[in-house]
Amino acid sequence: MTASLFADLAVAGLITGGIYALVAIGLNLQYGLLRIMNIAHGEFLMIGAYLTYALRTATGWSPLWFVPVSALAMFALGLLIHRLIFRRLARLSLTVEELEERSLLIGFGLLFVLQNLALLIWGADLRGYDYLAQPLEYGGVIVTANRVVVFGVVVALSAALVLGLRLTMIGKAVRAMLQSPLGARLVGVDTRRLHPLCFAVGLALAGFAGALLSMIYEIAPNIGESYTVTALIVITLGGLGHITGSLVGALILGLVESFGMYLTNPSLKTLLSYGVFVLVMLIRPKGLLAR
Amino acid sequence: MPRLSRVKLLPPLVASRIAFVLALAALAPGAQPARAADEAAAAPPIKIGYAISRTGPFAPGAQVTQEPNYLLWADQVNAGGGLSVKGSAKGTAVKRKVELIGYDDRSDVETTVRTYEKLMGSDKVDLILPPWGSGTNFAVAPLANKYQYPMLAPTALSRKLIDMKLPYFFALLQQPDRMMGALVDFLAANKIKTVAIIYMDDLFGLENVNALVPLLKAKKIEIAENKSYPLGVKDLSPVLKAIKAKNVDAFLGITYPPDTILASKQAKEIGFNPKVFYSSVGTAFPLYKDVMGASAEDVMGMGSWNTKTSAGAKTYFEAHVKKFNKEPDRWASGHAWAGLQILQQAVEKVGLDRKALRDYIAATEFKTIIGPIRFKGSENASTPGTIGQWQKGEFEVVWPDGHATAPPVFPKPPWK
Amino acid sequence: MTARRALAAAAGAAVLTLPLYASPFALALALTCLLYVGLAVSWSLFSGPTRYLSLATSAFFGLGAYGTAVGLGTLPWPLLILAGALVAAALAWLIGLLTLRLRGAYFAVLTFGLSEVVRHAVTYVEKSVSGTVGRVLTDAPEVPTIYWTVAAIAGAALVTFRLVQRSDLGVALRAVGEDEERAATLGVDPRRVKTVAFCLSAAFAGAAGAAMAPRSTYIDPSSVFNPFILFQTVLIAMVGGPSKLHGPVIAALGFSLLAEALRLNLPYLYLIALGLLLILSVLFLPAGLAGVSWLNRWFEPRPPRMQPDAPRR
Repeated sequence: MTASLFADLAVAGLITGGIYALVAIGLNLQYGLLRIMNIAHGEFLMIGAYLTYALRTATGWSPLWFVPVSALAMFALGLLIHRLIFRRLARLSLTVEELEERSLLIGFGLLFVLQNLALLIWGADLRGYDYLAQPLEYGGVIVTANRVVVFGVVVALSAALVLGLRLTMIGKAVRAMLQSPLGARLVGVDTRRLHPLCFAVGLALAGFAGALLSMIYEIAPNIGESYTVTALIVITLGGLGHITGSLVGALILGLVESFGMYLTNPSLKTLLSYGVFVLVMLIRPKGLLAR
Repeated sequence: MPRLSRVKLLPPLVASRIAFVLALAALAPGAQPARAADEAAAAPPIKIGYAISRTGPFAPGAQVTQEPNYLLWADQVNAGGGLSVKGSAKGTAVKRKVELIGYDDRSDVETTVRTYEKLMGSDKVDLILPPWGSGTNFAVAPLANKYQYPMLAPTALSRKLIDMKLPYFFALLQQPDRMMGALVDFLAANKIKTVAIIYMDDLFGLENVNALVPLLKAKKIEIAENKSYPLGVKDLSPVLKAIKAKNVDAFLGITYPPDTILASKQAKEIGFNPKVFYSSVGTAFPLYKDVMGASAEDVMGMGSWNTKTSAGAKTYFEAHVKKFNKEPDRWASGHAWAGLQILQQAVEKVGLDRKALRDYIAATEFKTIIGPIRFKGSENASTPGTIGQWQKGEFEVVWPDGHATAPPVFPKPPWK
Repeated sequence: MTARRALAAAAGAAVLTLPLYASPFALALALTCLLYVGLAVSWSLFSGPTRYLSLATSAFFGLGAYGTAVGLGTLPWPLLILAGALVAAALAWLIGLLTLRLRGAYFAVLTFGLSEVVRHAVTYVEKSVSGTVGRVLTDAPEVPTIYWTVAAIAGAALVTFRLVQRSDLGVALRAVGEDEERAATLGVDPRRVKTVAFCLSAAFAGAAGAAMAPRSTYIDPSSVFNPFILFQTVLIAMVGGPSKLHGPVIAALGFSLLAEALRLNLPYLYLIALGLLLILSVLFLPAGLAGVSWLNRWFEPRPPRMQPDAPRR
């Protein structure tokens, strides 16, 4: 393997990993932090993608303008859904297992509703548009501009999240809640305020991811499921509630897929990434970066 | 040809869909308007049942190539006063309205089977239309045979299904071996020396490749790379880079719509410019042109008709655009329409006796928008394997000679 | 007591004689109901008491179906069903070996990805070994045979659920669900107990898959490893409440019939309606049908024992 091919595959892997990270970090805020098993996370991504597509085709402006729009819309939707459903659910559930099981069912329900709403509005046809697809080349490595944009955003976003969790008061409160929910409440953290916020930020990230991915992939109402599965694998790989862990886990997965596909056969992609996952679970049952 | 405006927040299908829901609500038993004066209303409507994917993974295909055609056809037939049915008593045709009874099969085989058991076994509808996709057709074909309903399937692609020799089953699309035969003839005629193949891991992918590889060998064309990939693939660039390094003359992708677009986009990205870029399914979709823009030029794929194929094809195309505000695809949609034409002609000639219908369909040559069709067993024996190619915004049929609407552009210039 | 017995006997007789007089559609619908009774009850067998969320049903079901596709024509029908059960149990044993020491979320995620993996593995093996992916099932048994087989599987699942619930194994499983470490100190081997129940539960899903395979005439990995089966099973079991037998049974019947009625009468809207109903049912019936007291009185009229699965804390 030549150096430039190696670099090429590494870049492709990192970019795929970056996309996975974007989706996974949003889910981690819900599942890792709140134990809300939102199996409909990918559906929120799908809605964000459609929203961007619709606005882009209606106005003809750059889709980048609509990335914050989509994120904000999902943030608002997140607050609403938390207020209507998950607040009540958290009160009803006495144990973490109960919350997990019931939120899984709610997730199924949301998945049905969102997928079919999208179907009703936009129809089942594949949809897509072309944006920033011109290739950039540097030292034999070729990537399209839109993938570079996605990767840059992911890195910036996760850096902002990690720093925010370390430096701001809200961040400290969230981390406190993560370590000990009861202790956090004792030292005066208002978990009733924090829960909806975390959930809504999680969905905002899905909206963000959907808007960006609509530049790269075609959209259909059922694209969400595969992202949810990958995101679940990534957050368990990196450790529940661990933002940096999700980033690392996602990048590893991306690299394994890229090199694995080149060296063996694309048909083995799923087996390879799942093999890595099982291996990590056997060696470090609580995830790569868990304490 | 005018480029369709896709700049709309809500595509018109929504409106028709909501209207359809409302219409169904209004069609509750007993609510049908009684217009005794109308000749067609005197005779009860012909009930035509089907299940098709409106939700789930098959929906993107089914809602492009199949169900819109059913709806358009029923509309047209009813606007013309109804379907002519050969009367049993006097031998003259009577016009009867068509009532479509369509259910969602959720892209699930068991649900499809159960729905057709309801339609044919319990409700005893007059005729059926097929579901979308090879897997569901495999499941429904023996059932249709058992209940003796002729079934003209637009999207069933497998030699195995033809080989089941079910008398009531007819497949309208060209089967994989036929399409691959045309492709290899074209490659040989243009003196292609080396090819690279990627194909998806399913029956369609394998049947095509199993047909393609021996044909290539027979013509002494070298296969430099032959790799499979899973459905739902998100990145093909590692494979494409490996192929590019081998410097092949032709790229042959046995791909489905999302992967067709992915492979095209990524080939363009890495500057992979073979003399032939062929990507099987989805290239014929109007979506391909919309997404790829100018880069769609000279890409080849499976396609067998366009507005130049016949006057009927042009009329159909325009009616489709008018009703749904989107173009039909240039492969399966035309075959789906041809199937409806065959059914219509057969009912006019022999009435609704299904055994007689089957015998008539099996033995007759029909005139359709994609040319004459005659069946041999379950297979459409008339339509040859074809190749389509995007040229200036139209998906031209470029192979074979008798069917071509334009000469092929070879070699393909680099991606625009 | 006798009234309930009589009712149960009448219901059983009605179920068994259905193929003799029902219309094809009614039979198909009843088949779906029975399938989900079997799947939901066998899922509850393991996940109910242990509270391990297993999301591998599609993998077991699909493997069973593939077994039939490979063996049809060479093996007699009962052996095919048995083979499906065994293959699924073997897979469950393997998964259990790897994953049953993981708790809660990790176990759920691992099993969730599993049917994807099995699907790709089967595809790869089929492609490399047999040179094709799809298999056509000719000489398939008639619908009544499939129906009676699925009825027998559902019946066996019901009986097994009851037997396990009342046995030492059931006590041990509930203890594991309560507190795994405490159970271990009390002399229960959590790993062994969990593995046995997981394999048992998987065997029924595998048998059901084997029995249902001929319905599709043609089997390929993407159609048999269908996440829909998993969604529906888990949904029914949890809406019913997996701790009691009657919960999943009523939910399976109710859900299958309701879903079908909505599908046939509300095209384009029925899945939205179904989703909303599901959300409402979780919010207002959080413990599922098993938490509805008058249902419990009807189905379990004995004086209430200490229920280990009663709300804790």
